[in-house]
Amino acid sequence: MTERIRVMVVDDHPMWRSGVARDLAEAGYDVVATTGEGRQAVRIAGATRPDVVVLDLQLPDISGVEVIRGLRAALPDVRVLMLSASGEQQSVLDAVKAGAAGYLLKSAAPDEFLAAVAGTAAGEAVFTPGLAGLVLGEYRRLAATPEPADRAAPALTDRETEVLRLVAKGLSYKQIAERLTLSHRTVQNHVQNTLGKLQLHNRVELTRYAIEQGLDQL
Amino acid sequence: MTPPPRPAPSVGLQGPLWRAIVVFRFASLAFALALIAGNVRYYARPLGAIPVVLVMIGWTVAASWLYARPRRRGWPLLIADVAVTAAVLLSAQLVIGSAALARGTPGMAVAWLAAPVLAWAVAGGRRLGVTAALLVGLADVAVRPRLNQASVTGTTLMLLAAVGVGHVTRLAAIAEARLQRAVELEAANRERERLARDIHDSVLQVLALVRRRGASLDGEAGELARLAGEQEAALRRLIATGAPPTPSGTVDLGALVTAYASDVVSVAAPATAVPLPAETSTQVAAAVGAALDNAARHAGPAARVFVLVEDEPGAVTVTVRDDGTGIPAGRLEAAEGEGRLGVAQAIRGRIADLGGTVRIHSAPGQGTEIEMTVPKVSL
Repeated sequence: MTERIRVMVVDDHPMWRSGVARDLAEAGYDVVATTGEGRQAVRIAGATRPDVVVLDLQLPDISGVEVIRGLRAALPDVRVLMLSASGEQQSVLDAVKAGAAGYLLKSAAPDEFLAAVAGTAAGEAVFTPGLAGLVLGEYRRLAATPEPADRAAPALTDRETEVLRLVAKGLSYKQIAERLTLSHRTVQNHVQNTLGKLQLHNRVELTRYAIEQGLDQL
Repeated sequence: MTPPPRPAPSVGLQGPLWRAIVVFRFASLAFALALIAGNVRYYARPLGAIPVVLVMIGWTVAASWLYARPRRRGWPLLIADVAVTAAVLLSAQLVIGSAALARGTPGMAVAWLAAPVLAWAVAGGRRLGVTAALLVGLADVAVRPRLNQASVTGTTLMLLAAVGVGHVTRLAAIAEARLQRAVELEAANRERERLARDIHDSVLQVLALVRRRGASLDGEAGELARLAGEQEAALRRLIATGAPPTPSGTVDLGALVTAYASDVVSVAAPATAVPLPAETSTQVAAAVGAALDNAARHAGPAARVFVLVEDEPGAVTVTVRDDGTGIPAGRLEAAEGEGRLGVAQAIRGRIADLGGTVRIHSAPGQGTEIEMTVPKVSL
């Protein structure tokens, strides 16, 4: 028997947290930790070694971005599935750039949620149409913002743009694969690449900023 | 009698005006005393100038002290101010004498006489200021054997000062009211944010949980869960914090379209604002509304609708796609030919007015997609 997937649930609402944990346990996941605070999540991540972290973006102590940075520093391979309400677009985008692997609306149905956790654990990028719209918008914003010649903004290929637009219009990966006569895996890769480039750009920018500010000398 | 001057809403912006009057009182007193010293040899009764001067000095100090407190700035003080000034002016008849006055010897309260006019203007605006200017001017003119240019000029200057200061006072009152309003708005906004946080942390979590746990139940329980979900979505929209800022004269199309989001309508838009001229945003949002109505009517009860807002360099594209039953090929054109496809016409009409284009594609079983593109016009 393969080892069960280890999941940590981070949400500040106890009822929600235990509900999610129960659903996950029933579906065969190993819920290794639940917590309502971002700092604690980061602290115990190293000891509990989850494969997937289900993270509510709105926590009382630190921002979702800080939690994700902390988690990835402690466990470079951890995959973070963010949950949040609608209407928090900027924080969702920031969290994705900080390294979240996927995003799901909190209002998603339980089976959608379990499918998203499974997808995240399997290394897929779980996108909502809303997230695709945010990512598309971010690439267009980067393209429209003038930058020095040596630091080219990341850009989407035509195919990636096409795929992302279809995701934003609510098509499933399967439907997109049919429409564009691609394999499901290829669609997956295109979607994942759009996130990967954004995260890489974000890391490069952060490093550049750190060097400019002399933070690397500390 | 007119009602006593209304106290200013708070002393904030009027305070400096009152302090300026105090400065004026002392400066004009110094000037008046210098003139008296220079002209006293022409006076009919030079010794008579002494009590007048003492009254002027005394009243300057007393008035400065009395006016310092907002609640003392009522009718008694204002009337006393004009009365003392008029008395000083009228005393010229005795002290200086009509012969000297007729020769053009200046009065004893030159410039100093304007202080009550300014006080009345600040206390009650232009009308009271002009009234005071006329009263003081009348006293000044009364002591002259005949009307001369100096006293007419003096009265005119006082009238102008009264109008000017009265106007400034009114502006200050308006500015203060606006400031007050801004402070209140700010407080209301903070309160709203606090409420939003509280609601997010409590009610919303419970509603989401009810919806989640009940989603798999049948019958009434499932219905309750669905209703909880609807309320959750509505409440979230209600407490959503303000839209990103947009340049003046523009409206964020993203925010307008996001307002349509619901259980069955998913909206994808950039995180940053999509500013378009207010009219354009409104028209595009109305076209989106028409497309959503159409989807709700024709796509079938189980259909979901996806709206995508894209901010491209030269244009803005909004796509409304449903995953419903779709329109059979040819039916759209046929309906349009018969002139009864209200929805398509309403959408095409609005978008064409903005110089944009509409593409509709649909196939049975694959839903309907309406893509609207409007050019960005540089503002």
